[in-house]
Amino acid sequence: MSNYFNTLPLREKLNQLGVCDFMDSSEFLDGVNALKGKKLVIVGCGAQGLNQGLNLRDSGLNIAYALRKEAIEGKRDSWKNATENNFTVGTYEELIPEADLVINLTPDKQHTAVVNSVMPFMKQGSTLLYSHGFNIVEEGLPVRKDITVIMVAPKSPGSEVRAEYVRGFGVPTLIAVHPENDPEGKGLVQAKAYCVGTGGHRAGVLKSSFVAEVKSDLMGEQTILCGLLQTGSILSFDKMVEKGIDAGYASKLVQYGVEVITEALKHGGITAMMDRLSNVAKIKAFEVSEELKTIMRPLFQKHQDDIMSGEFSRIMMEDWAAGDKNLLAWRAATGETAFEKTPAGNVQIGEQEYFDHALLMVAFIRAGVELAFETMVEAGIKPESAYYESLHETPLIANTIARKKLFEMNRVISDTAEYGCYLFDHACKPLLADFMTKVDTDLIGKNFNEGKDGSVDNRTLISVNEVIRSHEVETIGAELRKAMTAMKSIKTV
Amino acid sequence: MSEPVVHITSLTLKYQHTPVLQDLNWVINRNENWLLRGSSGTGKTSLAKAIAGLVKFQGSIDIHFGPESKLPAVAHFVAGWYQFKDLEGQSNFYYQQRYNKQATETTATVQAELENYGEKHQLQFNEVEELLAALGFSDLIGSTLIQLSSGEHKKLQLVKALWFKPQLLILDQPYNGLDKLSRKNLNSLLEEITEDGTQLIIISNEVELPSTIHRFAEIREGQLIETSADEYTAEVYETAGKAVPAFLNEAPVSSSESIIRMIDVNISYGEKQVLKNINWEVKAGEKWLLQGHNGSGKSTLLSLITGDHPQAYANNFYLFGHKRGSGESIWEIKQRMGLISPELHWYFDPTATVRQSVISGFFDSSGLFCDPGYTKKAQADELISYFGLTEYRDMLMNQLPVGKQRLVLLARTIIKNPELLILDEPCQGLDQQQTQHFNRLVDELCKNGTTLIYVGHFESQLPDCIEKRILLENGEVKTVETILESI
Repeated sequence: MSNYFNTLPLREKLNQLGVCDFMDSSEFLDGVNALKGKKLVIVGCGAQGLNQGLNLRDSGLNIAYALRKEAIEGKRDSWKNATENNFTVGTYEELIPEADLVINLTPDKQHTAVVNSVMPFMKQGSTLLYSHGFNIVEEGLPVRKDITVIMVAPKSPGSEVRAEYVRGFGVPTLIAVHPENDPEGKGLVQAKAYCVGTGGHRAGVLKSSFVAEVKSDLMGEQTILCGLLQTGSILSFDKMVEKGIDAGYASKLVQYGVEVITEALKHGGITAMMDRLSNVAKIKAFEVSEELKTIMRPLFQKHQDDIMSGEFSRIMMEDWAAGDKNLLAWRAATGETAFEKTPAGNVQIGEQEYFDHALLMVAFIRAGVELAFETMVEAGIKPESAYYESLHETPLIANTIARKKLFEMNRVISDTAEYGCYLFDHACKPLLADFMTKVDTDLIGKNFNEGKDGSVDNRTLISVNEVIRSHEVETIGAELRKAMTAMKSIKTV
Repeated sequence: MSEPVVHITSLTLKYQHTPVLQDLNWVINRNENWLLRGSSGTGKTSLAKAIAGLVKFQGSIDIHFGPESKLPAVAHFVAGWYQFKDLEGQSNFYYQQRYNKQATETTATVQAELENYGEKHQLQFNEVEELLAALGFSDLIGSTLIQLSSGEHKKLQLVKALWFKPQLLILDQPYNGLDKLSRKNLNSLLEEITEDGTQLIIISNEVELPSTIHRFAEIREGQLIETSADEYTAEVYETAGKAVPAFLNEAPVSSSESIIRMIDVNISYGEKQVLKNINWEVKAGEKWLLQGHNGSGKSTLLSLITGDHPQAYANNFYLFGHKRGSGESIWEIKQRMGLISPELHWYFDPTATVRQSVISGFFDSSGLFCDPGYTKKAQADELISYFGLTEYRDMLMNQLPVGKQRLVLLARTIIKNPELLILDEPCQGLDQQQTQHFNRLVDELCKNGTTLIYVGHFESQLPDCIEKRILLENGEVKTVETILESI
């Protein structure tokens, strides 16, 4: 096995990175027909596995769960999830030989082992479905040539996939067909039908490739989604405490602030988030975020470069081989940070206060989203893919922080994302050390508008607005959000 | 004579930017218990919340608690809508999540919830046991919050309030979703606490009340008007005299002679069996009444029919002539029926406009996610006008009082003129007049051959067309009968 992407000639690298097609709803008129009457077997029954299975069954498809013998005999959670919802459960040996479509919804780390153990049982001409391309692209696992390999990746946590389906909607979804494994040319039709089965076709579907999905997904999660949210949260909290702001207040402002601030992002992009600030505050947040972008750009580029070259996955897989030594140590260290250990204070913080008192966090988020987006696009990833992997997912991750801080975020995201998040965080904090010495409580902890008369120079304001609004993440975002009508507010506060 | 307990002067209050209370004055003396009634949207809930200090207002509300009373010196408000949170403090629950076995462990048990509540308010746990028994709640102590039906949530809210026993207790629509026996027991319990010194303000249009209620009032044009016990202004119901929109007068196409056929249907959660060996057939055009006390299994039974219960796949039953789990999607099932239930209302998208909500009935979604086209919009507008909701058409659901929201959802339920209507306590939150009008509309629709399943706890408030009855008790069919005379 070797890194699949690195075996490709440049022409083909660019070709696969560039697959990106926002699909018209007319592409889904055939519904689930391509999978109707076929046997679908899901391997793994965690949150994604169970909820996708519930949706697919409610769409009239035939679903069963294949679990490892130990999971069945030990009546583990995955076994309970499946049996208590009246699904057929069996071992690989029992179920895979019958399956027309095998759906691998296990964690990345287990993919090689899982696929190697199910493949011998898979029947001639069947299909293997992934929801993440790491195994194919980074590990380069070769799949038998008669098997079709596709990807369907709902861009939301499992519980949302279910919640949106039962209310008659769905979550935005990414689909792909692996060009090395599409012997009968049926991959796309099946991926579309699967997408209809989970309800994703109602919320906007992006046709991508395994390569584009992996390279953009890794970049997004390491930088803006998890890495920067972690760095920004810790630095903001520590600064407030250093400057004498009540620790309980600081903890609450950060924990829930990321969610409230990014909620605006979800509905109207960076523009809407910045517009929640007064004019003076917006201009300041703009200046601060520009400075942050300059400081952090090399780090974002390094992450993208390491992802493209396969260096990132190489060192992460070394850690897998070492029994997750680094991952576990870093996870423990995150649990020991002052932010993590200070419970949110019992104080009321109004919705607007989360913006006015946390200008620095707004600046972090603008800088992070734009940098991640720009860096991905420069590396050959299409803007639509870059949007999903940066701006679109930020509020979803912020919601996990609001629930139980960074520990919860790192528990919910994949181990792959978590590993990349720590790498970023450890490099980013020293990079920002000088910058942070200049930060005072007007930027974080207190109302920036206090003591200011609110007047601004017209031309400055106009040019700031212009820069924010004409950024490509905003134009592409406006387009894509049209397809995601009626997004539900996810709110913890 | 001691000073009044509650003294309200010149109270002015806005609900979503619209003034509802204007210079309202009200004096509640010691030992008085009041009923506040009248149409939805007159400001009853806003007034109650103002007294409990939950909303901002202009004017003054002075509350003088009894200095000698041993009861907590609190004006405690029990909302018409229940709320609950999961163990992580979130309340992002979704429709029918309670039937998904995996989701049930994310909320606390009733026992834990009550222990928590008792600790917070320093209450004795043995006192609550009596209340639980009186409201038929004792068996649910081990259930988790998400598993409770809407009637059971209502009871839990009431149990807490009765246990807390504040000096002033304000109950907004306490009878919603309660079965007959529970309503009676609730009244006895309320009589007891008034004897112990709690004063009551009840917001309800119910006629059977605690005997200790002896003062009555309505809000008219922002002012509080005291009335006598039987003097009562009914809401001018806008459908009176209006013709039912023509598109609802067509006979729905029945897909099969047998609409529902259940053969030994069983549902259990772990050890607990919720439905036992249910055998039931509903033929096309039949009008059924489904009855049973709270927790008897009615909602679970209906959730099987509406395609909302995962355990449907493990049972032997037929919907619209097809065996359930033979390749149909739940959307094909839902397409043939119009549904309203307390849960559908509770989980409905609060940010949809009235018009979107009504149109969403064509698509069985909570909120609208596509362009419905001209005809559907026109039909929705016609129905909105029929229900007298035209002036609210572009408002969001969460800007309307609960009673108005309910009318919107009733319009949503019937808009596609479905072959099967499932009306699970459709008139909750409406007054008697509105209920009668809606039931007459149901009678009208059913003349066209619509099949009906109706759940109602108030036997005096049912449509005339009902001809058959199925009674559930502890998850089993107790009675199936044909009704010869109207109930």
